[in-house]
Amino acid sequence: MEHVSKSSVLQLGLLVLGALAILTAVEFTIALTINIWQVLAVIPIIKAMLVFYYYMHIYRLFEEDKDIDRESFAYKLATNRLGLWLFLISDSFIFGGLMISRINLLGLTRPELIQSLGLAVTVVLLISSFFANRAEVCMEYGDRKQFILCLSLTLGLGILFLIGVVGVEWRLAPFGPETNLAGAVFYVMTGFHAFHVFTGVVFLAIVLRNGMHGRYTSEKHWAVEASVVYWHFVDVVWFFFYPALYLIGTLVK
Amino acid sequence: MRKIYSIGLVRGLLWQILGTALGIGILTGIRYLMGLTAWKGESAAVFGALLGSLFFVYGIGAMDDWIKVAGGQEVHEPDESGWGSMRYFGVSLDHKVIGIQYLALSLVLMIVGGSFALIFRTELADTGMQFLTLMEYNTLMSLHGMVMIVGILVGVAAFMNYLIPMMLGARDMAFPRLNAFSFWLAVPASLILLSSMALGGFDTGWTGYPPLSARAPVGVQMFFLGVSLAGMGTVLSSLNIIATAIRMRATGMTGFRLPIFVWGSLATSLVSLTATQLIGLSFQMVMFQRLFGMGFFDPAKGGNPILFQHLFWFYSHPAVYVFVLPGLGIISELLPVFARKPLYGYKWVAISSFSIAIIGFLVWGHHMFASGMAEYLRVPFMYSTLLVAVPTGVKFFSWLGTLWRGKIEFPVPMLFVLAGIVVFLIGGLTGPPNATIATDLHLTDTYFITGHFHDTMFGGYVFPFFAAIYYWFPKMTGKRLNETLGKVHFWLMAPAFIILSTVMMRTGLLGMRRRIADYDPELYLVQDHVVMTVAGFLVAVGILVFIINTFWSLRRGEVATGNIWNSRSPEWQVPSPMPAHNYDRPFEVVGEPYDYGLPGSVYVEFKEE
Repeated sequence: MEHVSKSSVLQLGLLVLGALAILTAVEFTIALTINIWQVLAVIPIIKAMLVFYYYMHIYRLFEEDKDIDRESFAYKLATNRLGLWLFLISDSFIFGGLMISRINLLGLTRPELIQSLGLAVTVVLLISSFFANRAEVCMEYGDRKQFILCLSLTLGLGILFLIGVVGVEWRLAPFGPETNLAGAVFYVMTGFHAFHVFTGVVFLAIVLRNGMHGRYTSEKHWAVEASVVYWHFVDVVWFFFYPALYLIGTLVK
Repeated sequence: MRKIYSIGLVRGLLWQILGTALGIGILTGIRYLMGLTAWKGESAAVFGALLGSLFFVYGIGAMDDWIKVAGGQEVHEPDESGWGSMRYFGVSLDHKVIGIQYLALSLVLMIVGGSFALIFRTELADTGMQFLTLMEYNTLMSLHGMVMIVGILVGVAAFMNYLIPMMLGARDMAFPRLNAFSFWLAVPASLILLSSMALGGFDTGWTGYPPLSARAPVGVQMFFLGVSLAGMGTVLSSLNIIATAIRMRATGMTGFRLPIFVWGSLATSLVSLTATQLIGLSFQMVMFQRLFGMGFFDPAKGGNPILFQHLFWFYSHPAVYVFVLPGLGIISELLPVFARKPLYGYKWVAISSFSIAIIGFLVWGHHMFASGMAEYLRVPFMYSTLLVAVPTGVKFFSWLGTLWRGKIEFPVPMLFVLAGIVVFLIGGLTGPPNATIATDLHLTDTYFITGHFHDTMFGGYVFPFFAAIYYWFPKMTGKRLNETLGKVHFWLMAPAFIILSTVMMRTGLLGMRRRIADYDPELYLVQDHVVMTVAGFLVAVGILVFIINTFWSLRRGEVATGNIWNSRSPEWQVPSPMPAHNYDRPFEVVGEPYDYGLPGSVYVEFKEE
């Protein structure tokens, strides 16, 4: 990492955010105009791959061990990374199961939701993911002040997302979980996702508190990396859930 | 009083009671404040049980270190050497202790589940209802299934936890705290599962299909919750196994020098890491349907009951490979030791475990041939299912090749291994008739399926499991299980079981339906049922002998500290019971693992100080 300057890494993060924003905008426009589900299914995959590579650093899993001593920090760190990714793979099967249920039960229809709110919470989560990445990069370069600022922003935006979905959308939706199938699918999908966002917020809050006490250094900050990777994962899940709930298919009353 | 409270298990149980009460109180309070009818038994029970299990895990101290880390404190591995036998009743980070804890829990669960079977087996010995009500019968029958499944999952975890770090030459698992956490999650989960009996029972069978499970008594919620929690523990423990097997190997232990048991465990863990989430999800969706009126599986609201079956079997079919792959690994592990010959076709056996696991993901539809699944899915599922026979055949071929012209010895573990092979062969051969649509439509939901299933479970899990206990008991305790009692155990259990399962299949072909509480005397099956009941009790007596043997041998068993089986595996090269941190000196792998009987071959070499 040392040979790359900090500003160029941050610039890269910004570029990725730009790409994700453009893709989201394209997605939204297609949904409102021609609504071809194949395109709407491919865009989240592209977005997810961008995040996997640039924000979640999946390639770190395949790096050679610099230190093969089992008790060394570097070796344990690589083991921890593997463990976290295995957990994410396992977790993604829950969300995959929810997606399959949605496809089976609703097909090419979607529940009646507030489009502007949906776009707003998606953008909020996207920006929070960007700041999460920025916080991690700042930690890597030892910039504690920026780290705390960015992590607080991530946390705040995460809470805003929760308020948007659970506080506003759940209340304003013209159906309850028992009204119809669309309602059932909507509440279970957003419910599972909101639970993960909530645990992510708690995780980030713990990391923020420890970070304020100066417990992480530019070399040793596994908790920061873990919470940020988990946060990106929750964001990736929303990449798929957002079109599945808000965009794909025709409206069902 | 304080002394009793210091025992982890007691503390955990007290906290669980507290948590359950608190959960019921909180939920009722919230409902009261929201202006709903304050008392709703079902939601209160679910929330109470959920909070209770969290309180258990917290109270016993499985999360202490994580809470400390979150609070910014340093944590160190505790020195457990002075704890004595009490450490088996509380949180310990040592993989050997956790393995034995898993083993004890597994035996308890299997004995509980087995006695359920004995009760309803006795009921079935004659037509008409003797001493059970229909609901009691259904509850016992359903719980027998699920308690056994959880027991098997826990038993599989027992051997994976106990053996894998030793076989790899590691000090402990990759994540010792997660390991303890996933074990202690299984305890409240089992309690919640069993508590379903007190809450009205349930009559769905272990599959819990809606719409029936959406209408069953509240007990079914405890069943769903218990399974979901136990599943979560399994996921975390298999994560740990994979990370350990990838990251903690000794120098020189390349992929094709791994012990075959580790290969089987890796394949198993791969399945349970991913697919378990879907049984959890499908059960939770039924829970939500009952609690919040969501209509996923309710045809009246446009829901689709078949969807549940897809989600359910996507886990529950691969789950049987989760149960058997470690057991088959144990068979391949022990056969060369007792045949004094190299394992035939090591690489193929290693790969076959993985191919069984991967094909296992593609076959779930064969459980649904008769349930109204889309017609065009039937034939692909039939062929994918028949394909499983290929890698399984590889294993049999290897076992035969290993036995061929070997200098075979017959101590008790070998007897169980051989019985395992025979019974699994019967179970395997009765599989294709169920996979082929034409015959399956006739066999679906008959006792034939029950017989087939019990054969695969006993051949793939129970017999290898006992073989492993007899084989590694000296490693765990430093004492050997009594051979004579072991032989009594074997000769009671193995023939009785083969009779039991064969008669099961016979009655199935003659028209006996599975899961039913009563049958028509005109079927003329009473005699067969009496035979099955007697055989079932003989199996139970065999296991009783085993339990007596365990306690007797723990006290006065023959002391065995050396390499009593002449094994090449590294854990037998150090004295028994295993030292606290496994190996004082690290070892290096310099040869093939199963070259028994070849002159001059070495597997591991311990490094000099």
